[in-house]
Amino acid sequence: MNKYQLYKLICKNADLKEKRHPMFDKNRFMKFLMIFMWLYYAAILIFMGVVMALGMKNSYNGVAGYHVFDGGLIYLLICDFWFRFILQETPAQQAQPYALLPVRRSFLMNVYLTRSGLAWGNLYWFFLLVPFGLIAIAIPVGWIAFFGWLLGWWLLLVMNGYAYLFCRALCLKHLLWVLLPAAIHGGILALMLLPDKNPLDMPCTILMNDFLHWKLLPFLFVGTIIAVLYWANYKLQMGMVHDEVGKKEEKEIKHATQFNFLNRYGRLGEYLKLEVKQRMRNKTVKMSFFVGLGFMIFLSAISYFTPAYDGSFMRSFICLYNYIVLGMMTLITIMCYEGNYIDGLMSRRESILQLLTAKYYFNVLLLIIPPIILLPLMIIGKMSVWMNIGYFFFTAGVLYPLLFQLAVYNDNTLPMNAKLTSRQGNTTQQIVSLVILFLPIGFEKAATALLGDPWGYILLAIMGIIGIVSHRYWLRNVYTRFMARRYKNMEGFRASRNS
Amino acid sequence: MDIIVKDLRKTFGEKVAVDINELTIHSGEMLGLVGNNGAGKSTLFRLILDLIKADTGTVHMVGKDGENSVDINVAETEEWKDWTGAFVDEGFLIDYLTPDEYFQFIARLTDTSNEQLQEFLSKFEHFMADELAGQKKLIRTLSAGNKQKVGIMAAMLLKPQVLILDEPFNFLDPSSQNAIKHLLKKYNEETGATILVSSHNLQHTVDICPRIVLLEHGKVIHDIDNKEKQAQTILENYFEIND
Repeated sequence: MNKYQLYKLICKNADLKEKRHPMFDKNRFMKFLMIFMWLYYAAILIFMGVVMALGMKNSYNGVAGYHVFDGGLIYLLICDFWFRFILQETPAQQAQPYALLPVRRSFLMNVYLTRSGLAWGNLYWFFLLVPFGLIAIAIPVGWIAFFGWLLGWWLLLVMNGYAYLFCRALCLKHLLWVLLPAAIHGGILALMLLPDKNPLDMPCTILMNDFLHWKLLPFLFVGTIIAVLYWANYKLQMGMVHDEVGKKEEKEIKHATQFNFLNRYGRLGEYLKLEVKQRMRNKTVKMSFFVGLGFMIFLSAISYFTPAYDGSFMRSFICLYNYIVLGMMTLITIMCYEGNYIDGLMSRRESILQLLTAKYYFNVLLLIIPPIILLPLMIIGKMSVWMNIGYFFFTAGVLYPLLFQLAVYNDNTLPMNAKLTSRQGNTTQQIVSLVILFLPIGFEKAATALLGDPWGYILLAIMGIIGIVSHRYWLRNVYTRFMARRYKNMEGFRASRNS
Repeated sequence: MDIIVKDLRKTFGEKVAVDINELTIHSGEMLGLVGNNGAGKSTLFRLILDLIKADTGTVHMVGKDGENSVDINVAETEEWKDWTGAFVDEGFLIDYLTPDEYFQFIARLTDTSNEQLQEFLSKFEHFMADELAGQKKLIRTLSAGNKQKVGIMAAMLLKPQVLILDEPFNFLDPSSQNAIKHLLKKYNEETGATILVSSHNLQHTVDICPRIVLLEHGKVIHDIDNKEKQAQTILENYFEIND
């Protein structure tokens, strides 16, 4: 077999791995939904591309519309970078099955890195760029300019892909490396947003304009960065193949905290301990918490220091977001982590009911955090205390019960220690997320419009208190429905375990 | 506790995994389940434990729970879980706990006091071989053999009247295999529990099980009385060990 044939074979296996992912393999409907969502987002990007192109058709103060668009280059690259965490594996992770086969590791690494660069995924943003470029560049400026501009974008996306692979590989070594891209992107965003004039606007515009005019220098510049990143990835990931193949977790934990104070709550206390330990000892679960907390602090800080979120809708959103996000991060995938040991749980009497109850109490306890983070906003009068009271109870008594309904339907096991994010949210989970994030605001606005300021929030609080008081009833209802679907769910959990 | 399997059938697509008209495992019996890969041993255990849904048929547990007579269809109630201990695979283990924490968790669910737990663990001291007790290792970092030990011990910690172990000798070193044989035998004699063990290790199965059921394509093809160890020859012939 020559090298090209071997390259094709490895690529074919990688394609099959994606195609036969247990998530889709066990569920044709899920496969259909994923394709549908892929097309749906593509349609949205096309729509945005057309709308932006038409909106920027006329030049502003002598600046062409596409220059304005190109000024936002960095935003798009940052979005692209973080979206990649959801889907893309590192070559070191992919190389594992070939470790004992007669394939040179260096060749394998080159195959995966080349494949990453040439991946169709790098072209997904073209759904936005092509319609925009066709209207805003190809027609008024010319086709050659359009292709130069598009090629420039492609190179930037490939560069971004390699930068992502490098960071992702570092994150495999230690989760805290995620702070590196976060700090860089945070710094860039601060540089762009805080001063009156964005200092990066002009360089981005010039770069893209040079691509458009097929000037050699920007192509060489980006090409060199790609080559450097390729080399850095090669070096880093080659070293990591060994780590990945012989992956062994830390042998001992430093502190085996016992939480003995929970013993007084009997079996429920045991499940509470389990919930706490699950969050403390598993990377994915722990990371969800810190990501949520980070966003809470970030949004609240922006709201505190800038007038950016002073609108009525955004204030409500920030308040709601703070209350719901920590619960939502884990409850949206409720039972998915338990899928790893579902057989053990199911062989104990009513253990699922006790587990759900413990989860509810734990998440209600987490609601102590948002008022602390939002306190500065309440003190300076940017957010009312009543709004906080309303959302506190509404979250605990209305939104949590809604999220707990997913315990009946979630049937895919999520790995608890996948590095960073391997969360494969399904469409039901995504829809529930959207409902949870936006419906309450509509309800709040309607209630406050009808009843006036404090009374609207009091209504939210009363609804929440009813949900809290009746928690035993609705938790048992969720449990009963879970048990009615248990065979289907257990089959799903088993089929997707270790995926 | 008797386990009564009636008209039990489970298929996966075209493949028949279990097809048993009638099988009764009597209270206090120690039954070995043998068969080639895909014979249906694990599926039968999962059906008995209500972890998968049967296409047709039932599994009943019949006997005494304390003073009360019980006759339970395992798919209809969870009552049987109080007196049934099982370990089939790693899906039974909460792997982010240390072995000690996991035993404590199980103990508290079964209202076992700390003293009773320590007494229980002391019986397994030799079996644990300084690898499990008092260690700050999470279960997920243990070797396959040590995970197996944790699973078996947790199943027995429930003091079950029905104990179901799928391939308990897998991954264990020879001395641990020997230890578990003795522990199971002793537990059966002392408590009168009904024990179901599946294994590819014919020697161990013949050594400890007075009754052995041979499965093929989900069907019981031999129900062997092994009180005098007479199953050895039948099994060796079936598995063509001496050819």
